[in-house]
Amino acid sequence: MAETLILDAEAVHALAHASERRVLADRARALLTVAHEKRALVRVPTPVLSEVCRGPRHNSAINHLLNSRGIGVIDLTRSIAQQAGHLLARAKLTSAHAIDAFVVATALQFDTAVIATGDPADIQRLASPFRHVRVFAL
Amino acid sequence: MGQPAAKLSVSVPSEIAAAVRRRVGTRGLSGFVARAIAHELEREQLSTFLAELEHKLGPVSNAELSRARRAWPKR
Repeated sequence: MAETLILDAEAVHALAHASERRVLADRARALLTVAHEKRALVRVPTPVLSEVCRGPRHNSAINHLLNSRGIGVIDLTRSIAQQAGHLLARAKLTSAHAIDAFVVATALQFDTAVIATGDPADIQRLASPFRHVRVFAL
Repeated sequence: MGQPAAKLSVSVPSEIAAAVRRRVGTRGLSGFVARAIAHELEREQLSTFLAELEHKLGPVSNAELSRARRAWPKR
């Protein structure tokens, strides 16, 4: 499958509230621009939504971002969940890091992927064995 | 369960038709074309979104763009 930019929670938040989070939003915009130049897909793993959605009154900006902005949501499948479990075991992390592992396991579904995250240390720890996955700290 | 399918009739240059049949065969053609169309629509939506953000926030700095380009994997 294609090159893909994966957006973690911080990137989704920054883009959904770009006016209030200018510095992070500009970094995320730069990555989106490069993704567009590279004809890459832009995807948000479904579990990330559990970190950024906080009820109907707060979700409109997130829904606005994910509707018709060229950013797709990629579902958590059984194989991604199982791969996430393997990643946690390999990195000697607990299930407290499950969402990070879901993000990295989603990235592994693609030929190459860049993960935009505000939590680079744990994501890097999970992704470090895989040369085709890059971690970009916002 | 997948979404209901709609039939589209399109004309493409014969060279492209031959290349895509070599690539995916007759049975895989619909899926290939659907993915290609979806990708192009997403690219247009992303382009519009980036333009909206630039209108609202101004251009992204060259420094941020350079950092993002360096982070992208080389092919």
